[in-house]
Amino acid sequence: SEVEETIRRLSSKKNVQGVVVVNQLGLMIRSTLDASLGKQYATLMSDLVRMARDSVTQLDAQNELTFLRIRTKKHEIMICPEREYLMIVVQTPESS
Amino acid sequence: MERRLELEKKRQKLAELRRAREERSRNALQVSQQLQESPVSAGGAARRDLDDLVASLVGERPATPTLTIDGSSDAGSDKGNSSAIASPPPYSSSSGSQLPHGGLPHVGRLIPEFTSVDAVIFDIPPKERVVYNKEVQTVEGSFEPQGPTEEEIRQQIKEEFAREEQLRLEILEAERLEKEEVLPQEVPELTDEERKAILQSADFVEFMDHSSKIVERAMTEKYDFMKDYTLGLDDETEDLNGNRMRLVSSFHDDRWTKNRSVTDVGWSSKVRVTVRANEMHPELIVSSYNKNPLAVNEPDGIVCVWNIHLADRPEFVFHSQSDVLTVRFSDFHPNLIIGGTYSGQILLWDTRAKTLPVLKTHLSVGGHTHPVYTMDMVGTQNAHNLISVSTDGTMCSWQLDMLAQPQETLALDFPAHPITDEVAVTALGFPDGETNAFWVGTEEGTVYQANRYARAGSQAGINTVYSYKGHFGPITGLHFHPLFGPVDFSDLYLTCSVDWTVKLWRKRTHSKLAIPDNAVVHPLYSFEAADDYVYDVKWSPTHPAIFGTVEGSGKFDVWNLNMDTEVPVMSTIVGAGKALNKLSWSKDGRHAAIGSSDGHVYVYDIGEMATPHAEDWNILQRTVNEMISTQSHGSNQSEF
Repeated sequence: SEVEETIRRLSSKKNVQGVVVVNQLGLMIRSTLDASLGKQYATLMSDLVRMARDSVTQLDAQNELTFLRIRTKKHEIMICPEREYLMIVVQTPESS
Repeated sequence: MERRLELEKKRQKLAELRRAREERSRNALQVSQQLQESPVSAGGAARRDLDDLVASLVGERPATPTLTIDGSSDAGSDKGNSSAIASPPPYSSSSGSQLPHGGLPHVGRLIPEFTSVDAVIFDIPPKERVVYNKEVQTVEGSFEPQGPTEEEIRQQIKEEFAREEQLRLEILEAERLEKEEVLPQEVPELTDEERKAILQSADFVEFMDHSSKIVERAMTEKYDFMKDYTLGLDDETEDLNGNRMRLVSSFHDDRWTKNRSVTDVGWSSKVRVTVRANEMHPELIVSSYNKNPLAVNEPDGIVCVWNIHLADRPEFVFHSQSDVLTVRFSDFHPNLIIGGTYSGQILLWDTRAKTLPVLKTHLSVGGHTHPVYTMDMVGTQNAHNLISVSTDGTMCSWQLDMLAQPQETLALDFPAHPITDEVAVTALGFPDGETNAFWVGTEEGTVYQANRYARAGSQAGINTVYSYKGHFGPITGLHFHPLFGPVDFSDLYLTCSVDWTVKLWRKRTHSKLAIPDNAVVHPLYSFEAADDYVYDVKWSPTHPAIFGTVEGSGKFDVWNLNMDTEVPVMSTIVGAGKALNKLSWSKDGRHAAIGSSDGHVYVYDIGEMATPHAEDWNILQRTVNEMISTQSHGSNQSEF
């Protein structure tokens, strides 16, 4: 299906370690990482996104969170939050 | 504390010793007194006589003050350790005691009373001063009894920390366990059925599409902003010096562009004087494709919009029922894409809508019935038209919001042609700023000028006065010099053709003089450097003397008339060497998008060459004048 193909294409790019799709409750829908790691990402990241979203709207009520990018020493976590779902992509940046 | 106790003990000892001493001294006194008395009573007169003799001869004896010695030694002793060492003084005392006895019998003399004392001499060693060499900031004296040492304190602290850490870890683990207990309870809720339902819901599909695009665009960042410049890395900077071109990216999609060839390429906007910032998307490229002979069920014509920052998949994909031969972004609407097809239909797509055309023209006599290979947009924001010409010589002008029927139709025909009236138009060009006069290139290789409307002195349709003859094969591309800069070259245009040449022409304005019909105009110059059919030629939008050509051999050439008119200044084989169909320059003149016959769109960067210098216009002017003068002198020579 198209969804599967998109996930497959995303995860097969070089530098990408994994893709996790989460729903708004923090439950993992699809993951290319192994299940436990995916679950971990799902719960931890959805908490983080919730906090970030709240902070952004508290700072400015007209503003809203559109994209979250966490740069760590080892890799980069990109989170695209939509109304109901969350897409998390973990990649290792070009330099490394 | 211990020291205090010790001190106390020592003091007590000292006191005791003193007391003992005093006692002894008293005893000694008593003893000595007793001793004194006893020899006097037991005396003997003989002794007294002897003593008298001796005393008269020798004199008095001084009394030995043994007591003072004792006193001084006593004073020398400090508090503290005192080890009483009684050195035997009996001989001194006894000797001291004996002599004075000799003087006792003489009562007349003043005889000091001598007492024999048992002197106990204490030898007290100096107190050992123990100095602690501890380096502390405070000048606290070392009288305080020493607490636990530094190392001990450190160990204690470490232990405390370790204990705290353990506590923390335990708490965390407990929380985690709780969470994990909770999670397994939650996960079974999202059953497979639910998952499937979610995966197929339209909402989810849209979410996937949208967010994956955003993430892919974010992923294509080549610059690492966390880069540490202090580390010694020798990265070769990608400076383009002078004459090199660089492939920026190549676009193709396995699903949509495989087995198709690119029929047209365009960038998001053309050079305009008025620019509204939020409407320009300079990173977007549109490309059209013909049909895929292997995929019968897929739509015949595909139009893809590519984003430079999104290398893997098109931003948008649009379908069409028949092969799309030409496509462009609307110059005046950022969302509209117009395409001309093999069936003669003109289609309009909107990026805000789905994949099928929003509007299309009718396949009836009103529009075109032959393939539309060329289109152009003329006019201004408020009054613009789309001009399309098909291979049967029909030129239609359309209003974009009303594609149901053309605004006007014009049949281009050339009556003086020996064989047929019709002019099979394969290339079209409007000079910059012109909306009425346009030039068409035909299948035979002739270029004609035509008018859209009848004007004073000219009719609508092909202007039969001049024929621009020079090419021997169908003209594949015609491009007028864009109008910009201090010198106006907009009367120059380039044509390229299947006869392996590119020719430079100067347009002839309609002259009022009576000239016999069918005057032939020869090209100013001919560029012969190609090895194959030349499929497209385009002037650079920023540099007056630069133009690019693409050939059937897969070569992409960049020419600079100010440097060399015989050979291109830059040339490269693009991709796998398949024939290149179309070329389009980006608005800034630096990037060129090339569509190849294997379905790939390549974007090349020509670097610094694209920026013109102030003298470039003048140099080009001189070059063109030279060409004109050579042409007029050598008009008898046949151009080839």
